Amino acid sequence: MLKCREVVIYADHLLAGELSVVERAKLHLHLAICRHCRRYVRQLRVLIGALQRLGARASSDVAAAVMRAIHARAGTSRS
Amino acid sequence: MKDPAKENEDLRAALGSDKDTAFTRLVVEHHAGMLRLARAFLREDEAEEVVQDAWIAAYNAIAQFEWRSSIRTWLFRIVINGAKGRLRGANRELTVDFSAVEPDALAGRFMADGHWSAPPENWRAHSPDELLQEQDLIDCLQKTLGLLPQSQRVVLELRDLQGLEFDDICNMLSLGASNVRVLLHRARVRIFNMVDRYQVTGEC
Ligand SMILES: [Zn+2]
Repeated sequence: MLKCREVVIYADHLLAGELSVVERAKLHLHLAICRHCRRYVRQLRVLIGALQRLGARASSDVAAAVMRAIHARAGTSRS
Repeated sequence: MKDPAKENEDLRAALGSDKDTAFTRLVVEHHAGMLRLARAFLREDEAEEVVQDAWIAAYNAIAQFEWRSSIRTWLFRIVINGAKGRLRGANRELTVDFSAVEPDALAGRFMADGHWSAPPENWRAHSPDELLQEQDLIDCLQKTLGLLPQSQRVVLELRDLQGLEFDDICNMLSLGASNVRVLLHRARVRIFNMVDRYQVTGEC
């Protein structure tokens, strides 16, 4: 039987889609009887989803400044 | 996460018809992430220079881009190489800290037999969007990201914020797969811990 301590490691591999069939079965067996680990895995998913959305977009002012610098220094290579 | 092949196809067509408009869209989409990545390696002023140089290099080289990898991976690789060059020039280097002795942030929350002694709190948010509804928590996330050890911050940015493949991350950082996974795990549990604490205290 997996220990909770091991489940937090398995959780990373689960989310990356990297567990073998046997490993997945072991993990689900543990999750079936352990609400703490169920909660950990569920909330880790929420957290990683939030991190993906955190990468903010640049404002159009910033983008315009980058483009001006490109044209100032990229010079003739416009195509 | 968008399908990279589709993303590439759309972008390639857009660049062909109006390079500057399409390129500006790339800047809007990726500039903030590239800057965060560069900041993990460098001081603020250096980071801004490296990212600006990366955009110039990308603008000049995009006609030669082979469209086999995602444009995101390509851009982030240019930033990493620029940052590494800067560090080398200054005789500094990427510090990779995975001292086997230092336990991860969750270590204290288990009993000796491997069961939770301090199990996770029940978070109020049930989805990523709900979690990001609180501005205080967003501030805490950003603060905690900034406080992560350098190599953890870089790996978390590339994997969880940008969604790059493990293989690409290993290549960019010249690190083995198991090391990258250890760094990612440590970064994740540290942030998990912070959010968990925030549920109770309302503070980072
Ligand atoms: Zn458990």
